Amino acid sequence: MASFLVPSWVRLAARIFIVVTVIFLLAPLVVVVGVSFSESQFIAFPPDGLSLRWYQTVLSDTVYTSAFWTSIRIALLVTVSATLLGGAAAIALHRRMLPGSAFLATFFLSPLVLPTIIYAIGMLMFWSAVFGPVSFVTLWIGHTVIAIPYVVRTTLAVLSESDPFLEEAARTMGAGRIQRLLYVVIPQGLPGLGAGAFFAFNISFDEAVLSLFLRKPGLTTLPVQIYGQLEFSPDPSVAAVSTIMIALTVVLILVIDRMLGLQRFAST
Amino acid sequence: MSDRTENLLLAAPGLFLLALAFFLPIGQMLALSVEGPEGPTLAHFSRFLGDGFYLGVLWRTVRLSLIITVICALIGFPLAYIMARVGPRARLWLIILVILPLMTSVVVRTFGWVVLLSRNGLIPELLRDMGLAGRTFALMQTETAIVIGMVHVLLPFMALSILGVISRIDTRLEEAGRTMGCSFLQTIRTIVLPLSLPGVVAGSLLVFTLSASSFVTPNLLGGPRLQVLAASIYKSVTQTLDWPFAAAQAVILFAGILLVLIPYVRLTARDNG
Repeated sequence: MASFLVPSWVRLAARIFIVVTVIFLLAPLVVVVGVSFSESQFIAFPPDGLSLRWYQTVLSDTVYTSAFWTSIRIALLVTVSATLLGGAAAIALHRRMLPGSAFLATFFLSPLVLPTIIYAIGMLMFWSAVFGPVSFVTLWIGHTVIAIPYVVRTTLAVLSESDPFLEEAARTMGAGRIQRLLYVVIPQGLPGLGAGAFFAFNISFDEAVLSLFLRKPGLTTLPVQIYGQLEFSPDPSVAAVSTIMIALTVVLILVIDRMLGLQRFAST
Repeated sequence: MSDRTENLLLAAPGLFLLALAFFLPIGQMLALSVEGPEGPTLAHFSRFLGDGFYLGVLWRTVRLSLIITVICALIGFPLAYIMARVGPRARLWLIILVILPLMTSVVVRTFGWVVLLSRNGLIPELLRDMGLAGRTFALMQTETAIVIGMVHVLLPFMALSILGVISRIDTRLEEAGRTMGCSFLQTIRTIVLPLSLPGVVAGSLLVFTLSASSFVTPNLLGGPRLQVLAASIYKSVTQTLDWPFAAAQAVILFAGILLVLIPYVRLTARDNG
């Protein structure tokens, strides 16, 4: 709306509203970061004193470092598998040449709408009945399933804005199927594939529900480790780990913004 | 090779994975919920629905989810409207501020609220200092704590679904309303609100679904006494190891959520199509 049509009291109210909402949204994150630099043994905000001792504790504690590596390993594998499977599916869906395209699109997006807890319990029961005890592979597959819809969505969004005649042109000029995929379609969808890959990493790295249901000794991801600490006796080391996770999220958001533009992501 | 074969080959790996590792496990869970020692039984369901404790859990889940959804809509609508109407720079910042918590692990965000709401945390202390609360006032292990934490987790979903719709509303409609004599609030009520209703409804359905099925935040902020349905499922799976009963509870949650999800899928399908 043209700005002279907005009364000044509305502007003021909107400013106050935004400030309060932003404080509400950021408060828990700021508090976690603050506590992580505390010198005291107890969780307190504002922190008592300033030190990096909790980061030292975390980096030398094998409980945390092994959970960290488990999380990273799963997240990287999920990034690869979800991007390959989701990206290929998105290209096929984009061409709209398969029978039941609309149904297929719903099929690929369904893990997004079904609450993870329902899937988690199903996966646990299924795996135990068919393959026995859960393992690293179970968690990898589970995370891939919930990450695929994000890759499909970002890739489809980018492809739908690309020029459909480019592939036709390549075909008439004699490019084979593989060449068209490699030199036309994949480059066209690259920003979407890239953003989807980073989403997949983020989802796997942050995911707690599936990881909690499929947890067992030796298969503890970072969020599960933090959850366990919170249930019993949290000390500022939990805050230090959490801060590392927040920092990683910030980096991922910046990268996704570069790749796809957050504005566009937010409106899809 | 025909075009169709090529596309089928592209989609096939994903199709197989989802069919085998998503739909099959859910089918398995549905089957387990009616499994008894002597053939199919509804005993797990009648145990849940005949026990006052579990009915209380169910009622708490529905009640809290409704409260959380309403609060998210009340904050999410003005937030989305402001996001849609500020300049591009401010909008980018607001989007980052909304997405940052969204992409941070739920466990980490809930931890922040544990610190803020605990007995000696910032918020109870502030309320005590202002004389708004007594000396024994506590927020942790209350339903209020669950609501605060859950609204924080789910507000971004609401704001982004409404933003998607509001940013497509032609601002000239509002200008026309204003120049023809509507007050600012009348314009919002008679033009913006009705036009953004699909976003509000879709956001509310999403928030309700996610709220009814979450247990990490309710468990950590509400404690074991204030169980919600998802927490009860988690307990049956990991502590009492009663899987058929856990499956039956999951089916009850699933059924409730399907009632909400079907209109959601219809709404968003129309949106994308």
